[in-house]
Amino acid sequence: MTTENLYFEDVELGDEINPMTRKISLEQVIGFVSVREPNPSPSRFTSEKIAKAEGLPGAIVPGAMNIALMSQLITGWSPTVSLKKIDVVFRQMVLHDKPLKLTGIITDKEEDVEATNIGCDVVMENEEGVKLVIGHAEFTLPSKS
Amino acid sequence: MATDDGIVYDRSLLGREHAIGSFEVTGEMISEFAKSTGETDNKYLGEAANTENVIAPPTICNIFVNNISRPDIKLQFGDLSFFAGQSVECKEHVRPGDRLTASTRLDNVYSKTGRSGKMVFAVWKTTFKNQKDEIVALVDESFVRRNRNK
Repeated sequence: MTTENLYFEDVELGDEINPMTRKISLEQVIGFVSVREPNPSPSRFTSEKIAKAEGLPGAIVPGAMNIALMSQLITGWSPTVSLKKIDVVFRQMVLHDKPLKLTGIITDKEEDVEATNIGCDVVMENEEGVKLVIGHAEFTLPSKS
Repeated sequence: MATDDGIVYDRSLLGREHAIGSFEVTGEMISEFAKSTGETDNKYLGEAANTENVIAPPTICNIFVNNISRPDIKLQFGDLSFFAGQSVECKEHVRPGDRLTASTRLDNVYSKTGRSGKMVFAVWKTTFKNQKDEIVALVDESFVRRNRNK
């Protein structure tokens, strides 16, 4: 996470959000699914065997965890970011223990008397550059004025 | 072009609200959610997870929509289902001790045709309110059904 307090005026169309890298382990996935359901039953998210029996190449990262990572890319950019909305499309399975790169680029910037609004496209891709999750986020930053 | 022409499903479910439950959000849940995703920001992790300053990561409501039992829309198409996409609109912060109440409704069913043939999408909208009856999050989920490639 950057420690820099970003303001609306600091951001321009085409700016890149600081990229984030992650590799999600089985232990992290178990931790995530256990938040709601302590001692979760084995599933495609936590068991290679079950995932393969369902025709998947291996245990996968839950969609809810992927969108949490995508939102972390935005909120981690600056302590001043306030996420309003994130919208993602799951294009490919996200497998455990594979390097992931998350990136974002500013696409919209608007300000009215009540609020600022910034839009950005976000992408999660694997080592080969295949886009696994794509989406769009909207957030606010404080104005200097 | 998206259309719902010729899709057979239980249309009486469209727009009908279904309560899916009430959930308490604890400091421990927030902390575990944050840790599992590699979060390092103390506003989510907290020095001690139950302090007033801690807020939940913006998509925490998602953990409550996973595996909920929705009414069967009796869709007569396809034999393969996927989670296609999701959006989360954050309206208010969620904090330790909040009690969230959620309801969901079938918003739309439509078809599209792509390289792999026809696909039918079902979109569910879920609303989360806190104990003050404020909407804290709106979660849209899109599920797709298609035929297996022969």
